[in-house]
Amino acid sequence: MDVRAWRRFRRNKGAVAGALLVTVVLLLAALGPLLAPFPPDLQFTDALDRATGLPVGAGGKYLLGADQLGRDELSRILQGGQTSLGVALGATVLAVGAGLLIGLLAGYLGGPVDAVSMRGIDILLSLPFLLVAIVVNRVVDSPSLLVLCGLLGGLSWMTLARITRAKTMQVRELEFVQAARAMGMSQARIIARHVLPNVVQPAIILGTTLVAQMIVAESAMSFLGLGVRPPAATWGTMLSDGATMLSYKPMLTYLPSAMIALTVFGFNLLGEGLRDALDPKV
Amino acid sequence: MRSIRRSDARLTLGAGLLCVAMGCASVLWVAAVGGCGDPRSGPRWTGAHPGVETPRRGGTFVFHHETDVRGFDPHVAFDELSTMGVKLMFDCLLDYDYELNLVPSLAAALPDVSADGKTFTFRLRRGVRFHNGRELTADDVRWSLERMLNPATASPGVGYFAQLDGAAAYEAGRAPHVSGIVVLDRYTVRFQLREPDQTFLNALAMPFAAPVPRESYAPGARDVARHPVGTGPFMLVDWEPGIRVTFARNPRYWQPGKPYVDRMIFELNLQREAAFMRFLAGDLDHVHRLTPADRLFLGESRAWGPYRQAQADADLWGLEMNTEMAPFDDVHVRRAVAFVIDRERWSLARNHALAPLGQALPAGFAGYDARLPGVQTRDLVRAREEMRLAGHPDGLRAPVTLWIGEGPTGKIYGELAQANLAEIGIQIELKPVAYPVYLRETGRRHTAQMVYGGWTQDFPDPATFFDPLFHSRSATSTDATNRSFYRNSTLDALLDRARSERDRARRVAMYREANELVTRDAPWAFAFSSSRLEAWQPYVHGYRIHPVWTNCFRDVWLDLPRERITRRYAPRATMPAALLPFGAPR
Repeated sequence: MDVRAWRRFRRNKGAVAGALLVTVVLLLAALGPLLAPFPPDLQFTDALDRATGLPVGAGGKYLLGADQLGRDELSRILQGGQTSLGVALGATVLAVGAGLLIGLLAGYLGGPVDAVSMRGIDILLSLPFLLVAIVVNRVVDSPSLLVLCGLLGGLSWMTLARITRAKTMQVRELEFVQAARAMGMSQARIIARHVLPNVVQPAIILGTTLVAQMIVAESAMSFLGLGVRPPAATWGTMLSDGATMLSYKPMLTYLPSAMIALTVFGFNLLGEGLRDALDPKV
Repeated sequence: MRSIRRSDARLTLGAGLLCVAMGCASVLWVAAVGGCGDPRSGPRWTGAHPGVETPRRGGTFVFHHETDVRGFDPHVAFDELSTMGVKLMFDCLLDYDYELNLVPSLAAALPDVSADGKTFTFRLRRGVRFHNGRELTADDVRWSLERMLNPATASPGVGYFAQLDGAAAYEAGRAPHVSGIVVLDRYTVRFQLREPDQTFLNALAMPFAAPVPRESYAPGARDVARHPVGTGPFMLVDWEPGIRVTFARNPRYWQPGKPYVDRMIFELNLQREAAFMRFLAGDLDHVHRLTPADRLFLGESRAWGPYRQAQADADLWGLEMNTEMAPFDDVHVRRAVAFVIDRERWSLARNHALAPLGQALPAGFAGYDARLPGVQTRDLVRAREEMRLAGHPDGLRAPVTLWIGEGPTGKIYGELAQANLAEIGIQIELKPVAYPVYLRETGRRHTAQMVYGGWTQDFPDPATFFDPLFHSRSATSTDATNRSFYRNSTLDALLDRARSERDRARRVAMYREANELVTRDAPWAFAFSSSRLEAWQPYVHGYRIHPVWTNCFRDVWLDLPRERITRRYAPRATMPAALLPFGAPR
């Protein structure tokens, strides 16, 4: 980021707030295991009320209370954040990587490579995202974090690929690229050294907002019971577990909801701020 | 340009913060009002004539279930909600009263039983008419049973009638009739068994034995699962698939004065939370299958006190261990699992909605014994000792796969089991699968190591648990009900003798022995039997939980405070057939 972009970013209050939120959430996720007061899967008998079996509320030994099986809510929120963010970031990295690569190749090489990959994108874009994710996750014998990452990432690289392709086609015709070609530089080197740096900005912007979308998608999948395997917590599974207790222990629903909402909000603000800062023409 | 962008960003931030603030406000509001679970909210409607206990005629009764009906063919339907409808439209020769006694229904009296216990002679009630107006005769009884036993019907009830003389030959197509069903005259029918079977009368009370008119099954007749015809108090008048089924009173019903209500509406596919809210709003007249939170609310509510009932279910739940697959081919590992399950904690985590159980029969069944030797209880020392005897003092190296049904309930028990078994070094990997897959795969040999599952009684006799769950006959290679594939020739012989034993005390002793044997051998780690809580509107009378039939609404009568329901569920206007694209619906 050059100095002018950084200045634009700093002046944008929304962007700074977003960056702050994202930093806090990332820190919490990274340090989760160190901060968690208890192992997240341990079921405590004293966390359930003797008479009714309802989990204890916030305060006391369990800072944010316990869930319906007597597990510490704070520890699970922290672990859930790690899983949810891990999946979202993993999926985003995958999507950005695939989008950049395919976009670059299609845009630079053109011809049959371009035609095939663009028609492939058309097909993939016509599939309903959540439905495909659900079906694939059903078919896969043992859904795991990796499968989930691959699934979410594999279904969301197309927009970026298109944008990258368009940009690449512009850059390809510029003089310095033609000069490099005239000097006999290999295609791979031209793409890596001269084209990529000029098309990476949309990837950064799109990637940031993609994280937010991935968090929502992961939560939706987990809420439907198609995400990670129990007892591992994600915010989505915690939301669906808490929903059965909504009228008695609303905190079990509100906490993971708030975490999802704040994180998504933060990533969206950050993404928009980055766009304004990096690409003043838009 | 620049200023516009800045204000844009501010706008975004402002809108975002506003959303967050509104979200917080709504959260606080819901928390303050307490949502639907406000313990202060009582019934909205009371009866028009409180205290009057004489049944009144008329009105519409609305009940529900959370899934969809497959069909109302009594010979094929075997699930809870189909049976709810089947019990409204069909009668059998025998039925149960609320004290679990077998009582005559379409039979004029209990049957005459021969001295050797193999022959049952039934005299039919005279003047019973099918919904189509024709009188029921002994011939219908025979035709209906043969239709059920016919392999083309693919009835899951065939096994209950295996002792009927000639049933096997008929099923194999070697005889035109079942020789053990003899029509003596227009109103008398005799059943002849090969061996005495103490559960035969129970089988006759199951909907599988419901008499049906043969003309409804003639070639070209309408599909009986969609257009059922029986002798019961209600007739099917309308079915909107997946939405609701409407029943109307049978004007020719043989019990004078019954049924009391004019119409019954069976709402389908209503989720638990939604159903409970609609019940509180007065849209449903009866509610069952509650979420833990709704159940707690209803159980604590004083206002609902007179209009609710809790009852222990006659069922068994636990971890079924495949005795043909490692590591559960070793009895010590199985026992270790049985001893490490913390049944009290499971009950606590389910808000005490279940009764911990450590043996093969639920409380109340002949053969149940609270002090059964070898009863499975939480005992960590013994569990570790059994693991040592099995040669795994430090636990198992490979994780075990536990199959659970998809959804939040299966997951809770899966996670409870996971936590318990970790204490003896058994790592559990949960495998949540859709219900049809669950049924198919867990009933297949060498497929599922461990299954979380349960079994509900078909009739109030211990054979209803032992024969399907632990007899080697039920450990078939596909669609097995003995999903632990447990085979024990001693037990098989004991169960076969008990099934035909006519002396009640000796029979109870045999089932107690079987119970002890299965409990010690631990093909299951028995965990609990469940209980149900149901509630109804204050103007609903004549309903209580039936000990055999779930949600049996035949005797309900209403003291309606208003015309609400009848208006709301007015019959659909019928369109002239000519206007329908494919002609009149069949």
